[in-house]
Amino acid sequence: MKLLTHNMLSSKCLKNVNVGYPLSIKVEEMITSVVDFNPEFIARIIPKLEWNALKQAVNEVGKDSCLPNNLIENFENDEDFLKKVHHVLLEIEIVNGCLVCPETGRSFPINNGIPNMLLNEDEV
Amino acid sequence: MKLATPTYDLKNYSSVYEPREDTFLLLDALELENVYLKNLKPLFALEIGSGSGVIISSLSFIFEEKCLYFATDINPEACLATLNTASLNKCNVEVLNTDLSSGFINGIFDLLIFNPPYVITESEEYYTQAINKSWAGGNQGREVIDKFLRKLPEILSKRGICYLLLLKANDLQDVSNVVGKLGFKSKIILERKIIGEYLFVMKINR
Repeated sequence: MKLLTHNMLSSKCLKNVNVGYPLSIKVEEMITSVVDFNPEFIARIIPKLEWNALKQAVNEVGKDSCLPNNLIENFENDEDFLKKVHHVLLEIEIVNGCLVCPETGRSFPINNGIPNMLLNEDEV
Repeated sequence: MKLATPTYDLKNYSSVYEPREDTFLLLDALELENVYLKNLKPLFALEIGSGSGVIISSLSFIFEEKCLYFATDINPEACLATLNTASLNKCNVEVLNTDLSSGFINGIFDLLIFNPPYVITESEEYYTQAINKSWAGGNQGREVIDKFLRKLPEILSKRGICYLLLLKANDLQDVSNVVGKLGFKSKIILERKIIGEYLFVMKINR
């Protein structure tokens, strides 16, 4: 699971959870891979992100030094900034660990890079 | 553009649905829509019930690395098969083991593909074995389809497009009415008669 995906996940699917976002990340195994950098593509993704959730995610996986605190203006033209976002979104992968609902503490395991978001019948 | 069929190898994934005529009809639909889809420039693409992973991997032949690919499957072995097929085709796919799109925040997907369990069966059939969930559709083959359609407004982005595979027996006109009530237009873009089944691909958008 890439940190990009974490930005798109919530535990609102659980009954009695209001927001369920962002999920916190507990890492057991993490890898860094190399993905081709395309500045225009990253610039298209940035407006769709929840910046604070991404900040929280990089912090939780111990990579907070990789990302500036605030989303800068005119990021489209700042290649260095786009490279940093590219790295944290697409190159950091959680292989094993879990995602935790911020409201209930319900844990969603991540195995082989695949988060398990399946719910029991009594949780829906 | 001719859309190549992605490479796949399912010998280690015995509970995963092998690509068949329905899979190939969806691939042909994507080939037909290729120019339209390239102009749409979807940023987030999702395949629900990705099974072998052939369809989501084929999207990378259209959009290359200019789209983010996501797949879900309720069967954990199908999730692994999807990752394996994606890797065989050098495609980056993020896979979630979940029911439909459960777990994703709302309104993000610009492109959505679903080859649902559409076969008319007893409702109980769905629950007996992992692989049954890939085809057993219950009453009128519509149990999973109807659940999916109710979720459609929250899965798709404002400009989102959905391609849905259906069987004639699923009652196309009724499906069209259901999505119409949810505020969507629908159109059959491809159909094919095979032995024992009459398959359709419906395109749905706002």
